Amino acid sequence: MSAAISIQGVSKDFRIPGSKRRLRAVDNLNLEIERGSVFGLLGPNGSGKSTTIKMALGLVRPSKGKCEILGNSSLESSARKRIGYLPEAPCFQRFLTGRELLFYFGKLSGVKKTDLEDRVNSLLVRVGLEDAGDRRVGGYSKGMLQRIGLAQAMVGDPELFILDEPTAGVDPIGAADIAAIIREVREEGKTVLLCSHLLSKVETICDRAAIMVKGKLALEGSVESLTAATDFSSARIEGLSAEGRKQLETFAAEWHFDLSTPRRSLEELFLELAKGDGDLE
Amino acid sequence: MSVGGDKLNWSLSRTLVIASNTFREAVRMKLFLGMTGLAICALASSFLFREFNFGSSELKFIADFGFGGMTVFGSALAIIVTAQLLLGEIEHRTAMTLLAKPVYRSEFVLGKFLGVWVTVACFIGMLTLCLVLALWMRESSIRLDYPEEIEQGQSLVHYGGILWFSLAQVFRIGILCALVTLFSTYATSSIFAMVMGVLVWIVGQLQHVATEAGGVVENLVLKTIYSVMGYALPNFHLFDVGEGLAMGEALPISLVGKLLIYGVLYSVFYLAVATASFNRREL
Repeated sequence: MSAAISIQGVSKDFRIPGSKRRLRAVDNLNLEIERGSVFGLLGPNGSGKSTTIKMALGLVRPSKGKCEILGNSSLESSARKRIGYLPEAPCFQRFLTGRELLFYFGKLSGVKKTDLEDRVNSLLVRVGLEDAGDRRVGGYSKGMLQRIGLAQAMVGDPELFILDEPTAGVDPIGAADIAAIIREVREEGKTVLLCSHLLSKVETICDRAAIMVKGKLALEGSVESLTAATDFSSARIEGLSAEGRKQLETFAAEWHFDLSTPRRSLEELFLELAKGDGDLE
Repeated sequence: MSVGGDKLNWSLSRTLVIASNTFREAVRMKLFLGMTGLAICALASSFLFREFNFGSSELKFIADFGFGGMTVFGSALAIIVTAQLLLGEIEHRTAMTLLAKPVYRSEFVLGKFLGVWVTVACFIGMLTLCLVLALWMRESSIRLDYPEEIEQGQSLVHYGGILWFSLAQVFRIGILCALVTLFSTYATSSIFAMVMGVLVWIVGQLQHVATEAGGVVENLVLKTIYSVMGYALPNFHLFDVGEGLAMGEALPISLVGKLLIYGVLYSVFYLAVATASFNRREL
């Protein structure tokens, strides 16, 4: 079976207006994304991530090399039959309500009329917009736009999701919800290509990741192998008594290792507060 | 849920989905309502200015006001709405989401064109209704004022001709929409597309001058330029056929038929070029 996304020797040059010079946004990129995985594409601004995504979607033509989506050339419209795409900072038809927007994209994705209403209703519930479905998209907050964007990407029940910064502008609860949806999608056997600056999120969601720098692939591998540090180990002990700690400190001094108290991340703290009644455990 | 096999056929239904969404967006624009209100007010004002009719009959004066409103406001609406709705999708990046769906770019271009064209057709339809109503009201009051001068059964206005005239204007504006669609597929700002639209509208109104000049000049280069211009640009002047309608004269159906064919051919040509241009565009 072919890879979900296969990028072979792809380069993209953009002409600089008013000059004969060209800017190389992507340089000889080779990438294979396996079906059924969640793949994180990382890199600083201007590293060529969005151009790579646009080439994968056939919105931009590579200057060199070729892109294949689920075995089809990305330049063929048929390649997009099985893709759900969420653009960075999504902008939708402001005059439509959330429900109308999903109907519109559902029809364009070829969803049968008989299935569309149920599909739209279930998606609105799934992304937490069941109460805002009849409001105009123009009045949505950034987080709501990301949610409706995710719903429109899912409306055609695609095999491959391409999500560009899905959690940008979303509060931690929303980001956690979106991460949960991505995990569910993976469990359904679908492939996700995820672009994000929130590295902690990528680390927890993705199976594999690639880092691009100045249009080139700098590093690629499983998240486990990329983040593993081979020269130290750590242990976490919960409910350690004062006496136990004292013994451990003596032991640490003998064996020359550090003993520290782990800190909770602000995100964990925020989620605990926001999802509870404002009380911390 | 299935969306079929791997092959993606060109689909009229997807085109119509885009067209209906474009139509919905257009009619929800304040500009559409404003233009419609303005055009109806302009038509209504012909009653006030009928004393300044420069010697022509009152009914002709009202009809000329209506025809002028259709052409001027209809063309303005076509230029602005086409540029805004097509380039707006690119500028606001909504086109990226749309074209990431299984949609051919030709479906997008044609859908946008159809949506705007139907919007302008509705606008002309409303103006036609108002014009017919205005002419009928005035004709009725003239009949009451001068019962002996007007023969029984004699119609002062050819209402059927007005409908045919309006249909011809829909196709005239279709050409303009297709042209602005073409400009929008490669323009980077809607202002550029609108300015080009206005220029082409002016040139189209005067195109017959270039055609006539092509027949008169002897310089081969100039003759070729005039001939190419004559074929490449539409002659909007051909559609000004409403002269005698308010004086009871009929509009030959064969002429209307020719105008419709002319409109369809030019629109199809510009849309084909627009699609080719948009296929090359990177978003």
